[in-house]
Amino acid sequence: MKLAGMLAQLLTGITLVVAPVVTVNAETVVPEAEEASVNTMPQPQPGWFYVRGGWGTAGTSIFDSQSGKMVGMVATSRDSDLAIDPAGKAYYVAETIWSKGNRGTRQDMITVYDPVTLKLQTEIVTPGRLIIGGFKTNFILTDDGKTAYDYNFDPASSVNIIDLSKRKFVRAIELPGCASLIPNSGVGFSALCADGTLATVAIKGATQDITRSEPFFDAAADPIFSNVVYDRQKKLAVMLSYTGQVRVATMGRTPGVSAPFSLQEAGGMRAADDKPLDIAWYPGGMQPMALHRPTGTLWVLMHKGEYWTHKAGAEEIWGVDLKTRNVVKRIPVEHEPGNIEITQDDAAMIMVNGMNNDAMIIDSRTGEVKHTIKNAGGGLITVVEPR
Amino acid sequence: MKIVRDMLGNPDAQGEKLLRRFAGATSRRGILSRLGAALVAAPVFPLLPVSRAEAAKPDRSPEAKTAFARSAQTKDDTKCDYWRYCAIDGALCTCCGGGIHTCPAGAEPSPVSWVGSCINPDDGKAYMIAYRDCCGKPACGQCGCDNIDRETQLYLPQLNNNVIWCFGTSSMEYHCSTAMMIGAA
Repeated sequence: MKLAGMLAQLLTGITLVVAPVVTVNAETVVPEAEEASVNTMPQPQPGWFYVRGGWGTAGTSIFDSQSGKMVGMVATSRDSDLAIDPAGKAYYVAETIWSKGNRGTRQDMITVYDPVTLKLQTEIVTPGRLIIGGFKTNFILTDDGKTAYDYNFDPASSVNIIDLSKRKFVRAIELPGCASLIPNSGVGFSALCADGTLATVAIKGATQDITRSEPFFDAAADPIFSNVVYDRQKKLAVMLSYTGQVRVATMGRTPGVSAPFSLQEAGGMRAADDKPLDIAWYPGGMQPMALHRPTGTLWVLMHKGEYWTHKAGAEEIWGVDLKTRNVVKRIPVEHEPGNIEITQDDAAMIMVNGMNNDAMIIDSRTGEVKHTIKNAGGGLITVVEPR
Repeated sequence: MKIVRDMLGNPDAQGEKLLRRFAGATSRRGILSRLGAALVAAPVFPLLPVSRAEAAKPDRSPEAKTAFARSAQTKDDTKCDYWRYCAIDGALCTCCGGGIHTCPAGAEPSPVSWVGSCINPDDGKAYMIAYRDCCGKPACGQCGCDNIDRETQLYLPQLNNNVIWCFGTSSMEYHCSTAMMIGAA
């Protein structure tokens, strides 16, 4: 059987080599046998989308927003988390594998890939991580790209600090009752907590101070989506709750959280509430919003329905000016997408995807669908963020 | 919403205390001590809120019911709209060779779980349901459901249905989910 298989492979190989010679065509004659080669890639580009396969799959496909073509793939094992070095010098993948596939010795690591060759550079061993995927806030980098914070839940809650310059695990910090990490430049990081506060972990060498804000949201009645969006240049975090309340936090030693505003009111409607039998426009999806940082426009996946439909796919994409707190555009969208991201260049191209595994690239300025990509992947979408 | 408030009380007071308790017991590090804490703490989640729920007499009128609760049925536990599945996410073990509280052959039940508070349409009462994952085999792939009544985010993990709860099992591979009755809510 093995021999037959090898023979078949060999024959296929011979066919491939011989084929151009046998199929004589005046315009496509290849005078010499070709050699196998491997491409390299440009460094991470602002016009690229990084798209995870659906749940349980490995691989993050990279698509160019202008051409709609795939340009490469980062190896991201099942339920891993991808982060792009702010300087574009590496891809980092926080992942977990076992020595025998689904069993054996568990191994947790940050895997580092060269962005040009996409070859493995090194693996940084870590003590563990939450195996979940689908969230950007479980594995975050500091603005300078020197440190990574990797959320762990086993099932006690902690955060691993990884020194990316030295490429080694530093230590873990216990963080009970909190998750959804937000970079906090020069301080450490912040995190959303079950008591409705924002915890700030100020790291000082081998110790840390953990402080809590006043409670500002109800984690059980109107939770804030874990996929908080962060703006590295303005040091702001944008938070969205199930009812559509938007809050902007100014990061720092003592973060300031703005008073919320309602997405529905921003669109000229009454604010949605958390009562059943009340039909309204609600945000929904796993990655329900994207921030175009240069213009301060928040793009949100919206659907009509009752409360507790926070995973429902979208019927429209709403563009919200965070400064004026107005809905400036509503784009109808098909196929009920659950993830949205936007390129951070002037082109401001939106990508959405969902359960059907297809992605659409939409021009945020016109609402026009520029590309539909079959089997692009149904998971989380990442873009290069301004430094 | 109301039911969750009853279940957890103020998350500050209840969920947070429980989570602190988790972490408080794990200063000795090591997976065993952490899992030990989880094993001890697991029954506390479902049991603690019961008295609070009774004291608060939650509103179970049709107007207070979610869309799921209004259309839930009690006859077929291989369908996503079976009443106990109000906050389940994943493959139903009842479709994978298992049962409502039974893992399919070769799978291993997780000792910890997330919870939901679901209304049984036959008696109109709310019950605590523990969604226990069955682990150690590839994804079953049958009867995928994702119901999200009072489902929260990662900072309130016992009410989040995205987490794979295969902690403390010999493999963390997710196979399917069961819906165990814990008691009245």
